Amino acid sequence: MKRYELIVIGAGPAGLSAAIEAASWGMKVIVFDENVRPGGQLFKQIHKFFGSKKHKAKIRGFRIGDTLLKEAEQAGVTVQLKATVMGVFNNKEITVMMNDQIEHFKGDNILIATGASENMITFPGWTLPGVIGAGAAQTLMNLHGVKPGSKILMVGSGNVGLVVSFQLLQAGCEVVAIIDASSRIGGYGVHAAKVARTGVPYYLSHTIIQAEGEDCVTGAVIGEVDDHWQIIEGTQKKLDVDTICLAVGLSPMSQLARMAGCEMIDEAVKGGLVPLCSEYGETSIPGLFCAGDVAGIEEASSAMIQGRIAGSVAARRAGYILDQEFAQKNADFQESLAQLREGMFGAEKKGKNLSHTDEGIPLSLTLLQEGYINEAEIQRFPGFSETISSETKTKGVYPVIECTQNIPCNPCQDACQQGCISIGDRITSLPIVTDKEKCSGCGMCVSSCPGQAIFLIEENYEEDYVAISLPYEFLPLPQPGEQGLALDRSGQAVGSAEIVKVRQGKAMDETAIVTMKVRAKYAASARFYQQLEGCLSGGSTEALAMKGGELE
Amino acid sequence: MSKVVERSQDLGPCIPQNDDDLIICRCEEITKGEIRQAVHDGMYNLTEVKRYLRTGMGLCQGQTCSRLVRSIVAKELGISPAELELTSARSPARPIEMQTYSNEVW
Amino acid sequence: MKNHAEVIIIGGGVIGCAAAYYLAKKGVKSIVLERNEIGYGGSSRNGGGVRQSARDPRELPLAMHGAQYLWPQLSEELGVDVEYCQKGNLRLAKTEAHLKTLEKLVESSHSNGLDVKMISGDEARQICPYMSHEVIGASWCPTDGHANPMLTTLAFYKKARELGVRFITGENVSEIRKIKGRARQVVTDETIYEGDSILLATGYESRPIANTVGIDIPMQRILLEALVTEAQPKMFDQMLGTAAADFYGHQSKHGSFVFGGSTGLEPYISEQPYPVTTSFTASSTCRGIIKYFPVLKDAKIVRTWAGWIDDCADHVPVIDQIEEVPGLVLACGFSGHGFGISPTVGLLLSELVTNTALTLDIFALRYNRFKARA
Repeated sequence: MKRYELIVIGAGPAGLSAAIEAASWGMKVIVFDENVRPGGQLFKQIHKFFGSKKHKAKIRGFRIGDTLLKEAEQAGVTVQLKATVMGVFNNKEITVMMNDQIEHFKGDNILIATGASENMITFPGWTLPGVIGAGAAQTLMNLHGVKPGSKILMVGSGNVGLVVSFQLLQAGCEVVAIIDASSRIGGYGVHAAKVARTGVPYYLSHTIIQAEGEDCVTGAVIGEVDDHWQIIEGTQKKLDVDTICLAVGLSPMSQLARMAGCEMIDEAVKGGLVPLCSEYGETSIPGLFCAGDVAGIEEASSAMIQGRIAGSVAARRAGYILDQEFAQKNADFQESLAQLREGMFGAEKKGKNLSHTDEGIPLSLTLLQEGYINEAEIQRFPGFSETISSETKTKGVYPVIECTQNIPCNPCQDACQQGCISIGDRITSLPIVTDKEKCSGCGMCVSSCPGQAIFLIEENYEEDYVAISLPYEFLPLPQPGEQGLALDRSGQAVGSAEIVKVRQGKAMDETAIVTMKVRAKYAASARFYQQLEGCLSGGSTEALAMKGGELE
Repeated sequence: MSKVVERSQDLGPCIPQNDDDLIICRCEEITKGEIRQAVHDGMYNLTEVKRYLRTGMGLCQGQTCSRLVRSIVAKELGISPAELELTSARSPARPIEMQTYSNEVW
Repeated sequence: MKNHAEVIIIGGGVIGCAAAYYLAKKGVKSIVLERNEIGYGGSSRNGGGVRQSARDPRELPLAMHGAQYLWPQLSEELGVDVEYCQKGNLRLAKTEAHLKTLEKLVESSHSNGLDVKMISGDEARQICPYMSHEVIGASWCPTDGHANPMLTTLAFYKKARELGVRFITGENVSEIRKIKGRARQVVTDETIYEGDSILLATGYESRPIANTVGIDIPMQRILLEALVTEAQPKMFDQMLGTAAADFYGHQSKHGSFVFGGSTGLEPYISEQPYPVTTSFTASSTCRGIIKYFPVLKDAKIVRTWAGWIDDCADHVPVIDQIEEVPGLVLACGFSGHGFGISPTVGLLLSELVTNTALTLDIFALRYNRFKARA
């Protein structure tokens, strides 16, 4: 029987990282994946990752996927695609369906890195075509170039729901609403805010009651729920949608681990039934490892580190790494992993209704409940308070950082060559603009912020006008001289805007910096630009018309 | 080892609910009402419900419905879903044609 | 006393559930103790054959009684469709040697009063047109059939429960205790149950439990595997087997095919804490099936499973009152073909426990029949 020193099941971020690590120590490694392309979810993830430089922060997921594939090739890893592992048996034997046959392999070590599957919720009409997983929508758009629908209802406001909503907008869909049965938005505030500012409304404490339609979705009915998750009579609302995306959580795909006889544990915080693992990801069966979502739902950055850990432990088991060397390496990995698990969305604090940031600042409630920070609340955060002041006009350009939650992310600190942005050693601290005078207006912070939460303000751009530079990831890009609308954080039009500059560059990696000129009084409120033709989210033009006369 | 369960509990009558006709297991087209009735018929765990109704026995082998079935059964029994063990996972992980299955390479 | 009943039944498999049902029908209340879930063991892990053909003469009467009197009305009686289908059994031969094996079996069954005969390959194909031309002959028993073992077990359970039988799952029995000369107490990890009689029917696990009152039945645990396809268009009703024993099975009411098979390595599978499939059996079974039914080559297998049989030294069960341990009734060692006779066995056990006249003579299945070579 063909035998490898490490068999990896699943060529996603965890599996590839483990394979690269193990192979780099000299191990004979093979990776099986049932898909036609490797990379797992990475190639669907077109957004920039959070974290620090060593976590590959501010790099888009699919680019990380490319890098991993290259590294795997260089390390001599065999990646066998269209190869479905059918079973894990005694003595670490697996059967693989490939080339229209069943092939048997044995591994001295096996890593199960099969990821997760999407959860579903049921409601009348949930089996209609047009009700799909948010991950499925992502696959359609980003792998197959297919728009999942035109008018979308997103159910679930976790990071998956928020990130996919943004991608749907980028693909040219209308996101009619994002709803969540919880009373708080589940994902990162910065993800919520970048969607909210395009005009997408959030309905918290709302659930889907019904998908309407005979042969496919033609509408949705939502309603508000009380503390016991019961619909409050009279709150039902009909939405005109053709697609309903469910982003209601992921479940570890732990079937192979169960099949192998691993001791399992059902943990809500990990997303369900997962194998009981050591800190190295080793299951109750010696030499059988799990890493990534299959061991507990997290995200790709931590999956990659878990993979590295499993790969290096396998290398130690196989005698390629000495204990001391391993200890050093493992300590680095564990520290890196611990960093990603810090913050208000980390395992320890997840699901807890926090009221303050680590710095003691009350959290923005509008951000948690409506997806954007209102103007009153933004004032109290360090990225903001030290810059804009109504009394004195600042000369030149300076950054405004609307990052108000403790999340493990610090590319802005590295991006600023002038040293005017500081986060400090603790990766989850809120960024502070330490010395706004130094700002050169280069915009690197704007394009490097994975949360698209940094803006540049030039208060004395022209008499009575300011220039606001913002990250922009929609096509077509606006052109200098173009007239459009300035939207506030909630997506409401506040006034007209004129594009004065559009910057693009390799280092910005597709995040254009659009500079718009708006009335000075909107310096603290205008945060998005909407083109008048082919508007993103609808409604804003009317909203502006209702305000009357601001269109100049 | 699984915990001791008395099978003659008084769960009360199985009162019809207006979403009883909701399909839960899509592969085998099993409804919520059927699952609830199965619990009242004495099927107190996911394995028995599966054997009784075929929930999770179709092409996807419970990939989609196992959590859904679990929450319905748990609710009917008045316990937490986590108290109910999922049905066992078995090879093959994906459906496979007999022809392919029979063609082994060692 | 809370944990007292006239009968304590150890084992919530098809035998225990059937016995509980037939006892309840007689007005005898029992408590059924099960370590896992109802039907955990072989009861839910078998091919569903309800056949009389190729039975050992000692248990053939049980199979014939069931096929004639019990199975046909079982669904109606229990209020659950157990998917009993009495459309015959074909046992297939591909070689002359196979034919010889079958002829011997047919002769024996026939002499015991069963309607079974040898037919040609073409006759077999008239009954079941999907068979390959490799089949050169078969034995044919028109009154054999198949049923859904999972549903049958749960149907006995459901009906018995409705009749007032107490079922308790998650109870691991460690010991049977004699009190004043009779088996009365059943000790579990959690508590002690007491009954006027004790019925032990836990497959191979009956052995260590019976050992606690000094009774040992010579049997071994053998791992068998089965597989099931996705639903297929309705093709045939017959239960199938082969002289080569490479596979057996049928198409279920649902449309899926349920097949079992053996590789020859079964007795040598290494010890494992619970039954799991091997890496090679399903493939081997598929090869067996395709030779007889090439039409099924594209049918998809959705699942495989494994279970242990309690293979008795002489391959027929022990169904008996234990003379030396008054109050104890034993039913085990069904050797992989207990499902088909389970209603009859349940009925007989209810008679044994209540000391009423037996419907059939089961002297040949007594517990102390095993003798060493003279």
